[in-house]
Amino acid sequence: MKRRTFLTSAFAGTAALALGVSWYSSDPIQVGEDVNYRVLFSVLIPALLDGALPEVASQRKIAIDTTLDSIQASISVLPEEQQVELKELLALLESRLGLLLLTGSMTPLMLRSPIELVDMLEEWRFHYLDMIQTAYLGLRELILASYYSSPAHWGKLGYAKPTFLLNT
Amino acid sequence: MAIIDPITTGLESGWQHIDASTLQQNRHFEADVIIVGTGAGGGTAAEILTDAGLTVIMIEGGALKSSKDFDMEERHAYPNLYQQAAAMKTADKGIGIFQGRAVGGSTTINWTTSIRTPKPTLDFWAAERSVINTSAEEMLPWFEKMEQRLNIKEWQYEPNRNNGVLREGCEKLGWEHTVIKRNVSGCWNTGYCGMGCPVNAKQSMLVTTIPAALNKGATLISRAKVTRLEHKGDKVSGLTAYALTEGLQPTGVELTFSGKHYILSAGAIHTPTILMRSNVPDPHKLLGKTFLHPSLLSGAMFDDQINGHSGAPQSIYSDQFVWHDGATGDLGYKLEVAPIHPVLIASKTIGFGQSHAQLMANFNKLQVVIALIRDGFNEQCAGGQVRLTDHGFALDYPLTEGFWAGARKAFLSMAELQFAAGAKRVLPMNDGLSFLTSWKQAQEVIGSMDLRLLKTIVASAHVMGGCPMGEDTIKAMVDSFGQSHYFDNLSVFDGSMFQTSLGANPQLSIYGLVARNATLLAQRLTPTAI
Repeated sequence: MKRRTFLTSAFAGTAALALGVSWYSSDPIQVGEDVNYRVLFSVLIPALLDGALPEVASQRKIAIDTTLDSIQASISVLPEEQQVELKELLALLESRLGLLLLTGSMTPLMLRSPIELVDMLEEWRFHYLDMIQTAYLGLRELILASYYSSPAHWGKLGYAKPTFLLNT
Repeated sequence: MAIIDPITTGLESGWQHIDASTLQQNRHFEADVIIVGTGAGGGTAAEILTDAGLTVIMIEGGALKSSKDFDMEERHAYPNLYQQAAAMKTADKGIGIFQGRAVGGSTTINWTTSIRTPKPTLDFWAAERSVINTSAEEMLPWFEKMEQRLNIKEWQYEPNRNNGVLREGCEKLGWEHTVIKRNVSGCWNTGYCGMGCPVNAKQSMLVTTIPAALNKGATLISRAKVTRLEHKGDKVSGLTAYALTEGLQPTGVELTFSGKHYILSAGAIHTPTILMRSNVPDPHKLLGKTFLHPSLLSGAMFDDQINGHSGAPQSIYSDQFVWHDGATGDLGYKLEVAPIHPVLIASKTIGFGQSHAQLMANFNKLQVVIALIRDGFNEQCAGGQVRLTDHGFALDYPLTEGFWAGARKAFLSMAELQFAAGAKRVLPMNDGLSFLTSWKQAQEVIGSMDLRLLKTIVASAHVMGGCPMGEDTIKAMVDSFGQSHYFDNLSVFDGSMFQTSLGANPQLSIYGLVARNATLLAQRLTPTAI
C-alpha cells in the first residue's frame, strides 16, 4: 500500500523514476547515526532564527541546544503521518541527490554559508511547487514554534506567565 | 494562591473513571447510554441523561487533565489538550486547525466566546435544508437554559487592549460591535483560556456537566479511541474502541461497549469518521462535509503596549460584515481578535530571520484581528470533505476563488479597522508582504496582492458539519433532533449536526441544540415518560 508521504508528490516521484535511483543509498556522506537530525537542525536554526538567537557565543549555543531538544519533543508528539513526512524531508536534506533536487546544489547544508542558507530558504518560501513551499513552511513552523515554546526564550518578548498560582 | 482542583477532589470521592492506558486486558462495558466524546455535545448530554436516571458511559479519546496540569505553557497545552498537538492541517496544508482533545473536548481549551446561533443561519437551515423546530424562537429557552447552567454572561470588565482596538476601530468607523458573553465564573482575567483554565473559572464541560454526571454515577473512560460501531438492520449493536498510551498510541487493548442507545459526540471530524469506518448507509454521500470558518489574520503595531496575552482573550466582536449580503450572498466574515502567545504568534505570522525576530521583539505592541469566513452557504466557499486514510483521516478543503475574494475584503476591513484605531503599521498575514504604513497604502497593496494556498495564512478553530441534521434524507443523516435516519438507537449530538458553518463561535449552539435534543431523548428512554 502506498504511503501518503512527502515523497509521493508527483514531482519527487517523477524525479526519482527518471533518475532511477534510491534516495537513501546514493549518498556517501549521509549522517547515519544522527537519528534526530540534530546536525541538520543546528545548521537551519541560526538561519531561521537570525536576530532572535543571543549574540554571545556561549548563550547562543545554549539557546540552540534548548531548541534542538524542543524540536525533538515537538516531533515526538506529531501524528505518525506527519512524522513520516518530516523525516523523509530531513533525509532528503541529508542526501546529496535530495539536496540537488531541492536546492539545485549537492553541497551539504553544513558547508554552506549563512547567506547561502537564507537564499535557499527564501527560494523555497516563494517556490512555484507546493511541495517545496510546504517543506519551507514545515521547517519554519517546527523550528520557530520549538524555539518560542521555551520560557528561556521569552526574555526579548517581555512575555512571562503569571506567577500567582502555587501549582505552576 | 492554591487552586482547588475539582477533578482531583471528585476522583478522591469515588468517581467512576477509567484511564484506558492502564488497562492490561480487553474489557466490555454496558450502560443505558454510551456517549462517544466529552466536548460541548457529549458533556451536555451526559448531565441531562444521568439526571433522568439513565446509566451513562462517556468515552473520550484524550486524557483527563485538570487545573493542576494547566501550567499556562503552550509547549505542554498543545500536545496534552489539542488534536495532533495543535499541528492539525487540511490535506494540502492550506489550513491549520485547532481542535481540543481531552476530557471536556474543545470546551477545555476554547476562548469562552458564547454566541447563540445567528437567526439567518437557523432560517437558512429551515428554508433550504429541511430543519424543523429549530427557529430562533424555539431555541431561545434552550439557549437560556445553558446560559444559566454555564454562567454565560456579558463580560463586565474593560476589554483588554487587544479587544479594545477592535472596539475602538469599530467606533471610529461606525461599525457594529458587541460585547461578548463568556462562560466564566470568578474569572481572573489572565488570558490563558486556550491552555486550559488554571483557576477553573471557565465553565467548560470539564468542570460543570461532566463532574455533575460523574457525581450521579456516570462512568468516564479516557484515552480510549472509538473506531467503529457495529450495526445490524436498523440497530446499532455495539461500539469498539482501543486503549491509548499516555502518548496516545494504541496499547493493543480493545474495549467494547453495548447500550440501549448510542450517542456520537466526537466532534465534526471524528463523528463522521467513525460512521464512515463503520460503513453505515450514506446513500446521498453526506458524511464528512465539513465547514471551518477559515480565518485570516492581520497584525498591527501600536506605539503603546497591547499585551495581547493578558486578559480575557475575546471580549468584543463585530458582525458588520457577516450578513451584509444575506445568508446566501457574498461571503461574509466575523471580526474578532486572537490572544497573543509566543508559539501561536511565531507560527501564524510570516517570514523568518531578522524580519520575524523584529516582529517578535515588538511582541507586546502587536495586536491581531482575525476574520472568520462564513462557509457552507453557497458555492463561493462550499466547505471541505473528510475522507478515510490508511492511518486515520484527511480533510480536503479547497480554497476557492470565491474564498480568496472574500479573504481580500476581510484583509481590507481588518487593516482599515486597525489604522482607524491608531495602528502605526499593519501586516496582513500573507507571505511576501512587509508592514504597511497607511490605510492608503494598505488599500493599494491588499487590493492587488497575490492570495493563494500556502502563501496566505489560514487557520480554523471551529470544525463544523459532517453529519447534517434535517428531515429530508437527501439532505440529512440525522433528523432535526439528532436522531439517526438509519438507526433507531443512534443519535449525533455535536457540531457535526450543523448544515453549514454558523457565522458565530459554535459552543453555545452545540450546548443549546444538544440540551434540547438530549432532553427529548431522555424522555424517550425513561419509562416515566410513557
